[in-house]
Amino acid sequence: MTKQWKLKEIVLMSILGVAFAVIYLLAFGLGQGLVGLLTPFGIGPLGYEFIYGIWFIVSIIAAYIIRKPGAAFTSELIAGTVEVLIGSPAGPQLIMSAAVQGLGAETAFALTKWQDYRTRILVLAGVMTAIFSFAWHFYSAGFYAYEYWLVAIMLVTRIISSILITGLLGKWLSDQLAKTGVLRGYALGKEHRQKGEHHHVS
Amino acid sequence: MSHKPVLTAEHYSFSYETLDQPTLDDLTFSLYDNEATLLIGPSGSGKSSLSLCLNGLYPDAVEGVASGEIFYRGHLIKDFAKGALNQQIGIVFQDPESQFCMITVEDELAFTLENCQVPRDEIEHRINQILNHIGMIDYKQQAIHTLSGGQKQKIALASVLLLEPDVLILDEPTANLDPMSRLEFIQLIEQLRMTMALTILIIEHQADDWLKLIDRALVLNQDGQLIEDGPVDTIFQTKQTVLMEHGIFIPEQYRRHNHPRKPTIDAVHRKPCLAMKNVSFSRNHSPILQHINMTFHQGEMIAIVGENGAGKSTLLQLIARLLQPNDGAITFLEKSLNDWKEAALRQHMGFVFQNPEHQFLTDTTYDEVAFSMTLNGYDYDTINRRTTQLLSDFQLLQEKWQNPFALSGGQKRRLSVATMLDETPDLLLFDEPTFGQDAQTTAELMHLMTNIQKQGTTIVFVTHDMDLVDQYCESVYVLHDQKVQYYNDPKTLWQQDTLLNQARLRKPSRLEEEKVGVVHGVSR
Amino acid sequence: MSSMVSAVNPTVKAIAILIPGVLLGLTFDIYTPLVYLLFVFVVTLWLSDIPFKRWITFFAPFVLFIASFSWARLLYTSDTFQGGSVLFSFWTFEVTTGGVAVAISLALRSLCFIALSLLFILTTDSTKFMLSLMQQLKLSPKITYGVLAGYRFLPTFKHELDVLRQAHRIRGVSRAKGIRGRIQQFKRYSIPLLANAIRKAERVANAMESKGFTGERDRTHYHMMTVTKRDWIFLGMMVGALLLTFATSYYFGYLNIFGHQFG
Repeated sequence: MTKQWKLKEIVLMSILGVAFAVIYLLAFGLGQGLVGLLTPFGIGPLGYEFIYGIWFIVSIIAAYIIRKPGAAFTSELIAGTVEVLIGSPAGPQLIMSAAVQGLGAETAFALTKWQDYRTRILVLAGVMTAIFSFAWHFYSAGFYAYEYWLVAIMLVTRIISSILITGLLGKWLSDQLAKTGVLRGYALGKEHRQKGEHHHVS
Repeated sequence: MSHKPVLTAEHYSFSYETLDQPTLDDLTFSLYDNEATLLIGPSGSGKSSLSLCLNGLYPDAVEGVASGEIFYRGHLIKDFAKGALNQQIGIVFQDPESQFCMITVEDELAFTLENCQVPRDEIEHRINQILNHIGMIDYKQQAIHTLSGGQKQKIALASVLLLEPDVLILDEPTANLDPMSRLEFIQLIEQLRMTMALTILIIEHQADDWLKLIDRALVLNQDGQLIEDGPVDTIFQTKQTVLMEHGIFIPEQYRRHNHPRKPTIDAVHRKPCLAMKNVSFSRNHSPILQHINMTFHQGEMIAIVGENGAGKSTLLQLIARLLQPNDGAITFLEKSLNDWKEAALRQHMGFVFQNPEHQFLTDTTYDEVAFSMTLNGYDYDTINRRTTQLLSDFQLLQEKWQNPFALSGGQKRRLSVATMLDETPDLLLFDEPTFGQDAQTTAELMHLMTNIQKQGTTIVFVTHDMDLVDQYCESVYVLHDQKVQYYNDPKTLWQQDTLLNQARLRKPSRLEEEKVGVVHGVSR
Repeated sequence: MSSMVSAVNPTVKAIAILIPGVLLGLTFDIYTPLVYLLFVFVVTLWLSDIPFKRWITFFAPFVLFIASFSWARLLYTSDTFQGGSVLFSFWTFEVTTGGVAVAISLALRSLCFIALSLLFILTTDSTKFMLSLMQQLKLSPKITYGVLAGYRFLPTFKHELDVLRQAHRIRGVSRAKGIRGRIQQFKRYSIPLLANAIRKAERVANAMESKGFTGERDRTHYHMMTVTKRDWIFLGMMVGALLLTFATSYYFGYLNIFGHQFG
């Protein structure tokens, strides 16, 4: 796996991991706010689920940009580790969560043998991540002790959030980034250049 | 003395994409044993790409393409094992922020030695030795990100020297340094040359300070073709017109022209534009600025100078109301700065940041210029007319639909100024507008600024470039020790040797020969 | 002895902390996580050199965080755990002693995770951690140093964020409104930050390879990371204490794994 990667791709994954670790940490505050907001309506635990897709975004961005086996898994794992190092409230089992999430996204790309990076696959990767991470949290965070209807709603919300935020926002952000020209030396940048300049806005 | 070629390029071309539009086009030249060669050319002529081609990283690292050959001491560089050639050819890069992978100085230097498989028990000795050599042994345990730019570049140099390279490539190592740090870095290289046998390739826009070292010069044009190759004196003396056509900076000692005179503006009856009275500011209880008094008049061009960390940028932020002073009063256009409404203030006062990219908000050059006008509720026709006019004034019409981030360095800089001119502002602030820019971009920018000034706008800029201060400014403020130490015409400043030394400033190059403000010894 | 935890090999330490972290997920009683939390607390106090004041400034905010989270949890306990008498009713919710017990158990479990996490973070140098992963777990040097190179940029992100905020204010961008506005806002911050990060990644990689870095394993190590008897003792202690806790919990009949009461 590492033989295929260029050093600059690894450093890129790492820098993305660091950048998103900061964003992930900020998202915790946002999630806690949502929990507070929703608790009076009787659906407090859903607060985090609405924005859960944020925590998966780096694996989709890295995989979409680099397009090599392992990019989704590694970048998420790095982001999770860095998040712990800069003081996440979730503690070291966050590294486990990150590994599981990364594995989820990686599975989706593996199904296409890392050849297909169309929107539907990115969305699928988001969904897989959501399912994998939910299974892990079912165990580690004690979702098992919740009422089942709530668990079902949480899962569905997390999947929708992953479709919108992880899959679609992640792709959109990467495409915006490619337009700046800085991805010239990566797979996504090359694809954009081949498509040429079709994006004339009036 | 032997005159053997160390590195030789033969009909070498390189491109990031296809060879139809090569970045480097059919280069044939040699670098010789113990010679120092200067490589010059306008921005975008492929100088940095060439240095990475010479040590064998390109074209592979960028999946680019190349034709022709490069030889190192007679052997094709392609034939070297990965990493082997890099140990012979060391490079110090331009950006002090992105050359390191470890946290501390010690670990970074160890990284290089580990790469060379130096046995563990020798590593510490080698680290101490090199740090003593460059006068930075006291910084061994320090985190690199806490060092100054000049110190970082010395560490970058040290880690490259640990490779014991045969060839040293210096890719604009001083472009991001203040003038004194630049001089110190160059002196360090001079010292090294006395003790080590080194073939050196120097890439620099402003060659002035390097001239003592340099034997030969290579000149690239915009298309990445080699247009001159010869002794440095001959090239600068006989090819000046050609060089200037390509936007290459001619060192002061070869220059035949007079300096452009600063515009004479009727100095009487000018109203004050902005005034600061007894302004102080501190951060985390440590004072940054104390008792600052300043008055900027309408249509004046003013420079603020001082060493790094003297509080120059903080001062601009106070003027722009991005920070609030702890004490004192600021008046802008005869009204207290804090009484201005945010929207009105931003229309009357512009601020151009050091990195243009930080100010970009939209997806195209056109939208970027039109942004403020849309915000201010102009009608479509006015916006279109004014935007098109500005784009054409700033030579950006061709790039109208390009993504601002994809523009060249000079274009980005022009665009960031244009975005401030939707209405003629009364005051325009610049934070080191020419930092790290080549001669061409610097000249263009100063021309633009002078034009804006002629329309009555007051221009205040922070800079390290004393030539700009000398040529363009009517008054200059020197910041040192948190206070204004000097305020007057630049001409009288150049006579204050003690102050210049204290504030780590240099004289403009036209006066450098009279007295070079060299601080002896390398360490700071 | 007080700096024992700092001296433990980082990889072994990570494993010694991950194993209890994962196994604690099994328990749904109060006794087990409470006893283990006390154990971790004692280790932190006696065997590490973390000053108590520093530790508590990190730990205290998490207690509040967990407390607020557990409150919400209290209301949705599934039937498996809804044993015991009804304590009080609130709107459509019924809070039972069983529900309270499981909420407290989960809160204690989270506090265990955090205490373990702090024990690791506050005693481990991130560079040494990566070097140890390379030397003990045979992580590729390419990944090790690639990750370290990226990690170095952490302090610059905050600074750049501040500059961006100022630059946007100068351009007259008011605070974003609505979802569209927020997405635009998100883009305006993230694109310059990421674009710069990507350029830096490329430059650092070039600089590293120019210093003869190949990513291969044939390199020497200035910091030799070793595993000694002390490391195994630490691992045995952390895992052993957990097993002992499980055992006593079982013995006294407290142990509850996924709703199954044992003993």
